[in-house]
Amino acid sequence: MNDITPAVQANNLIKHFPSRTGTVEAVRGVDLTVRAGEVFGFLGPNGAGKSTTVRMLTTLLSITSGSASVAGLDVASEPDGVRRRIGVALQEAGLDPRQTGRELLVLQARLFGLSPQDASRRAQELLALVELGDAADRLIKGYSGGMERRLDLASALVHEPEVLFLDEPTTGLDPASRLTVWDEVRRINARGTTVFLTTQYLEEADVLCDRLAIIDDGLIVREGTPARLKAGLREREGLDREPTLDDVFLDATGRKRERVAGEVQEVSA
Amino acid sequence: MSQAWVLGQRALREARRSPDALLPTLFIPLFFLVVNTGQAAKIFPGSSTGFLHGQGYGAFQLPITLLLAASFGTAALFLVEDIEGGYFDKLRAAPVSRSAIVLGRLVAEAFKGVLIACLIIVLSLVFGIDIASGPLGFVLLVALTALWSVVYVGFMQIVALKTRSAAATNSAGLVFFPLLFLTPNLVPRDLLTKPMEIAATANPVTYVMEALRSLILQDLRWGKIALGFGVVGVLGVVMVLANVRTIENYD
Repeated sequence: MNDITPAVQANNLIKHFPSRTGTVEAVRGVDLTVRAGEVFGFLGPNGAGKSTTVRMLTTLLSITSGSASVAGLDVASEPDGVRRRIGVALQEAGLDPRQTGRELLVLQARLFGLSPQDASRRAQELLALVELGDAADRLIKGYSGGMERRLDLASALVHEPEVLFLDEPTTGLDPASRLTVWDEVRRINARGTTVFLTTQYLEEADVLCDRLAIIDDGLIVREGTPARLKAGLREREGLDREPTLDDVFLDATGRKRERVAGEVQEVSA
Repeated sequence: MSQAWVLGQRALREARRSPDALLPTLFIPLFFLVVNTGQAAKIFPGSSTGFLHGQGYGAFQLPITLLLAASFGTAALFLVEDIEGGYFDKLRAAPVSRSAIVLGRLVAEAFKGVLIACLIIVLSLVFGIDIASGPLGFVLLVALTALWSVVYVGFMQIVALKTRSAAATNSAGLVFFPLLFLTPNLVPRDLLTKPMEIAATANPVTYVMEALRSLILQDLRWGKIALGFGVVGVLGVVMVLANVRTIENYD
């Protein structure tokens, strides 16, 4: 993949699921371009189509219509080539609790074609990178949520992917663990890996992402840099203050903050 | 195949670290062996019962014990855990051939089948059961049991992949279970009532059981042995192909 080839490109990407009452249109025509080397944020409310889009881009879900390429390869026709070039850490930290952290990383490296010796060496490097060296030989079922996330991240990096997909990597983490994951994302990106990040935390997107897109009801409703999106909202609404990314998100998705200031409910025992 | 072997090793580690899942696999079949033999041994004394070929009734019961032990399919439940926990998607997002993901578990199940069969047969030798077909018969007995375990877990894995539910996978095992008992498991086929004989004759498990039984009670009867291996071979191929097809269409 050269610098001109987009890291991720989606053209009118559509996913329908059959249901008892007909068809659910989870993704209704997503167009996206993610440049090589950037951290791209993909935001949206629950059920907007974020994870479905990520699962199509990572070859885990078939595409109903439209097309997508990752690292210059077509997702539908060259899925194995795409898998060799991407790292994936999904919403659920996909770990096997009956293995140790080291065993999991060695296995993952072996599946990417490394020899047993190289796999062991790579596992050791990654354990040091995510600061899990002390817990490397403990069973994963004894890891904390933050440790699991870091290990999941490490397992997505065994083959030094060109594009890293992180689906809500900090959901459920305490603030300290969240900051650790942010540092990891920055470090990975600084090494040249494109990061495609979905999140529900707007502060996270604001801090980490070069550009972002907001998806709602299966369609992209905003796309741009955080600064440009905020400036756009201020100009459009004539605001006299700098809007936050929360404001952009609420405006884009048509949602409102519920304020009931001044209303006090009396509660009697 | 190397990917299947790497994943098979992982499945074996998983089994070794879950001995609680293995214990019922041994306990329940051995319980049936003791109970069935205790109840019927007096009715069928070894000295005067032709179909026992001079052995005790325990030897006649050993095949159903082996088949029961090889029919628990815990590997399929581990697969559901992988699906629910997200590890299955991790594997699918890696450049691993789809078939290696299911074959890895089947390879591991064959190894577990060998271990379980050896344990039960050695235990039965201690209690005076002979393997009349000798060392080669012992090897064939173990191999046939292990291959049966692959067939059974292959079926369970299809259910696991289709339903992605531990409860449904467990229930599917119960659907398969009656086939183990619609067999000549208490007496030879020619002593069954007519309806049971017809059911047993139509049931492929009968031929696996009769092959196992011939290896325990008689010298090498190649006709019966070939039939048993043939049934397991055909079912095994069907299950492996169905597994590969199911995972390739997994969405």
